[in-house]
Order: sequence, then structure tokens, then C-alpha cells
Amino acid sequence: MTDALDRIHAAFADAGVTGRLHALDIDSGAQLDAGADQPVCTASVHKLCLLVTLHEQAAAGLLDLTEQVECPPESRTTGPTGLAAMLDGARLSLRDLAYLMMSVSDNAAADLLLARVGLDAVNRTTARLGLTRTYAVHTFGELLATIKEDAGPGGARSLADPHVVARLRALDPARTNHSTPRDMTRLLAAVWRDEACIPEHGAAIRRILGLQVWPHRLASGFPFDDVHVAGKTGSLPTVRNEVGVVEYPDGGRYAVAVFTRTARTSALQPAADAVIGTAARLAVDALRAPQAGPRGTEPGR
Amino acid sequence: MDLVRHLECFVAVAEESHFGRAAARLGMAQPPLSQRIQRLERHLGVRLFERTSRQVALTEPGALLLAEAREVLARSEAFMATARRIRDGETGLLRAALPPDLSGETVAALLAGFTGAGTSGLELELHELSTAQQLERFAAHELDVGLIHHPCDVSGLELGPVLRRELGVLLPRQAAAGLDEVPLASLTGRDLILFPRAGAPAVYDDLLTTCARNGYTPPAVRHAQGASFVRGLVLSTEAVALSPRDTHGLAQEDAAPERGVVWRPLTGAPLALRHSVAWPAGRGDAAVSAFAEAAAHALRSTAGAAPDLPSRPLHLRPASEYWL
Repeated sequence: MTDALDRIHAAFADAGVTGRLHALDIDSGAQLDAGADQPVCTASVHKLCLLVTLHEQAAAGLLDLTEQVECPPESRTTGPTGLAAMLDGARLSLRDLAYLMMSVSDNAAADLLLARVGLDAVNRTTARLGLTRTYAVHTFGELLATIKEDAGPGGARSLADPHVVARLRALDPARTNHSTPRDMTRLLAAVWRDEACIPEHGAAIRRILGLQVWPHRLASGFPFDDVHVAGKTGSLPTVRNEVGVVEYPDGGRYAVAVFTRTARTSALQPAADAVIGTAARLAVDALRAPQAGPRGTEPGR
Repeated sequence: MDLVRHLECFVAVAEESHFGRAAARLGMAQPPLSQRIQRLERHLGVRLFERTSRQVALTEPGALLLAEAREVLARSEAFMATARRIRDGETGLLRAALPPDLSGETVAALLAGFTGAGTSGLELELHELSTAQQLERFAAHELDVGLIHHPCDVSGLELGPVLRRELGVLLPRQAAAGLDEVPLASLTGRDLILFPRAGAPAVYDDLLTTCARNGYTPPAVRHAQGASFVRGLVLSTEAVALSPRDTHGLAQEDAAPERGVVWRPLTGAPLALRHSVAWPAGRGDAAVSAFAEAAAHALRSTAGAAPDLPSRPLHLRPASEYWL
């Protein structure tokens, strides 16, 4: 395990990132901890907490997932994907909004769902699941507004300035939506073990996490046709995250949470995206190695 | 009421979102911590936290006050640091670092500026360290101030103004014939000599990315740092090296034209080293400021460093997940 930890730290250093990781064998409880309890900015990873809240409320009969929501084009939360990037009004069900929020990280869909369930409900759900270090202080629109405000008149360009990066509230876990790698693997394990929601809703959450389109982070570490990867990314200037579950055909299933910060301020850093997959793979390989202890024999879902 | 101590409690609870963990971090029991927070809230007349059975979260007024509270704590630490130095009198010591790529002239100007800045009684312990080594020593509390290269991980640091030193290219004399400046793309096919990546990985990656962006992807990168070794490699292998004008510049070339290595500016000045003075957040005192001013002045006057202005357009792609 120490060998795997050394290799994970070396991979992070080689990619030019500071990385925090927690990997958990969902059935045996074996784990790998590389800064698992460090507070981290969740960014769009927090959409996972919102998704679980939505399904919890549906299970409790507080809402119907097929309920239609008007999505007018005005005052949508900004973003480069989904409704946030679309120009015309639309009408979608709550569950299809959830699909957009998770598959392409649609900020507008996420805030429409947040408006329906409320930020407090999301925090109640994470607290109920024992995620004591996870908390959402603002909506996605409010989060983006802090970046815009802190970046100042220079806009996105000024995000290359070290002084600007140092003052972004969105990069300070105490002042933005936050969690820890361990809290996130705990949440994923609860979803995969049907402890977060009743099985019907657990299956719906797992389905939607498996429909994420991004191939460049967690999934890039598992180029195997017979291995299933489901996850949710999160990104901000210098921040690259992904949390997800990797399932092998022998029944092995592993929750992995990786949160990174790059030293470089460039927006495009393929090596920093890919190291999330590399580190996750090193962790999962270590958990699958015979000395990691017996794995649960219970088959996957 | 001891405001500083109470603010420490406030910041710890805000950062940990949990009374138990904050108490552990402060090395105190939880009940007195809760009492302190309540006393502070009464004193300010502001509710700082929402408390639920499992969580504490900052209220909106609490979030507004957090930044100011950190500022007060940082100033108070700096105040104590200055007091310590004054108390220690003759034995006051400033541990400072410079990167290996400065010219002797810049280092001399910095030292002259620092000793002339009313810092008598203060001993300067100067080290030659890469950015990565400086960041390590900052984290280990073994360094008070240093001149670092950007980009690097600046969390926990305060920075002086960022200055930019344009990079030119060192190349064999025959390769530069007839050229006043060299387009990066014309270096195609030549190996590049660069400092070892571990010294400043992010700077290294940025330089190679910018070379590629401007049409120059070297077949191989050779690692070297010492000026003589770099010149030797340029002469013997037909490779090229990047260098600021002030360290390998025209002065040296004029002094030794027979050496066969010349320096030329790059067309469009696409490459630069970006520097700033850095120190651990909250530890900036008069001595640190004097060093920061001396360094900035020395870089401007001897190395032609200029303020760094972000100028390149930025096209965010959909996977960025945010939009400004």
C-alpha cells in the first residue's frame, strides 16, 4: 500500500498537481488514503449531493421526478453545456434536468433543480448520510458569480495572474461548497449499497452517473471494455476533480474520489486531467492486489 | 476580551465546519470553544454560525467577516514577528532565497538595495534555491522570503508584484547569421536545453507548451543549468537554450565573441520568466517588505523586468464546466 501511495504522489507531482485521493473497496471496506481528510472545494462534484437529495425527496413522495419544469431562456445560470448553453425556452422533467446536470455538468439544470429542492435540503441529506465535512454554502450561479467578482474587470484572462488565483473565494474550502475525499467515497458507497436511497432510486442514480460524457479524467485510467466507470467531475480555475465508482466483472467495485489543484493557471492541461485516472487506477490496482485482504464475494448490483 | 484569540477560534470553526475538529486543532476542549464563539457573537452583535445537530455553517454575515478576521490574524502575526526581531536585536535573521537564474549584477543590486533600506541590525541569510525548493522550505517554516517563478502553487503565500523577464535564445553563431531576432518556429529540428523539470515543473511545462504553440516542438529536451555547461552544449551539439538577456546577454557576447554562441531576442517575445517575491501569508514584516522592494527594484533596473500583464485570449472549452 505504501508503494501505491508513493506512486500516486509521484504521479500527481509529475502532472504538476497537488492531489488528494480516497479509494474504498465498497464491499470489503479496504481503503487507500492520500490526503483523504483534507478539506477540498467540490465545484460541480456537489451536483452528486443534489442528485441524491432529489431522489430522496422523490422516494419520500415530496416530488414526482416526471414533474415538468419550465426552463425560460432568461436568467439561466451560465455554463458551456446543456441548457446553460441553449438559446430557447424548454420544458423538461425533473429527472431529465438531472440527466443534463450529471452527464454534461449543466449549471442551469443544476440551479433549476436546486430552486426546486433548496440548498438546505441538500445539506440535510449529506448530514443524514454522515458526511459531516460536506456542506454547500451557495448555488452554482452564486459560485460562478464569486469568480466573476474576484477576477475583476480583466475577466477570464486575469485568471492567469497569480494574485487573482490567490484571492478567489471559490478556491477556499471555507468559503465555498466543500467536502473531503473520504466523505465523497462514503456517499458513493451508500449509493452503490442502496443505503442512500431505496433500490429503485439507487439504480436511477447509478444509471445517470454512468451516462457522464467526459472521457478525460477518471475513465481515462480504465481503458478496459469490461470495466464500468460512473462518475461526476468538478472543475474551476486550477481545480480538477472527479468522484466515481469503478466496477469489475468479478464483482469488485471501488469508490474513488480525486481532488486536484494545478500549479499552472492555464485552462487546458490534459496531463492534469489524465492523472485523475492514473491515480485512481493505481489505487484500485492496490485494492485489488491479493495483500489488500479478501474482497467481498457478493456480486455487483 | 482577547479579540485575537477569539478570532482564531472563529476562523478555526469556519474552516473545519465542526466544533470538535476545530477544538482539536486549537488544542482546547469543545465547551470553552463554544463559549468563546458565543461570547464573540454577543460582543459583535452578529450571529456567525448556523448550528444544526451535525454541522456548523457560516452565516452570510459570518462569511463576510471571515476574510477580515483572517486579515486581522495575519496582521497580528506579522506584528508579533516584527516584535520578535526587534527584541532579538543584533541576532535578528532574515532567511531569504533567490533562484539560480539571476545575473550577478541583479544579486548585487538586490543586496545593496536591502542593506541601504534601514535594515541595520538585521542579518540576511541568502540561499540559492529553485522555486520547488523554496516552496518546500516555506512549508517547513525554514524560509522567510524568496523570489519565486510563476506559475507555481501559491496557496498559503502572499506575493509581491509579478514581474516579467523576456526570454531570448542562445544559439550557435552561424545559425543566427543575419538575424536580429529569431522566430521560435525557425528553431525546428534543434534540441532544446532547459533547466531540470523538478526545479519548477509548472514553469517547465508552460515554456514547452508556449514553444509548441509558436511552432517549435524540439525533438529532444536536454537538461542543464550552469551557464558554462549550457554554452558548451550549444556549441558542441547545435542545440539551443532559452535565456533572459541580462544573464547570457549581449554584454557577455561582446566580451567573448570568439566563443561562437550568440543571444537573440525571440520574435514577438512569446516567452518570459515571471517572478515575484513571496512569503508565508501573515508573516510579512518590515524586513520582508524591504527585501521585496529591493528585489523588485533590482529586477527592474538590472534585468529589464516589467510588470506582467495578461494579454493572451482564453478560449474555455466545454469540459471547463464554468464560463465567465
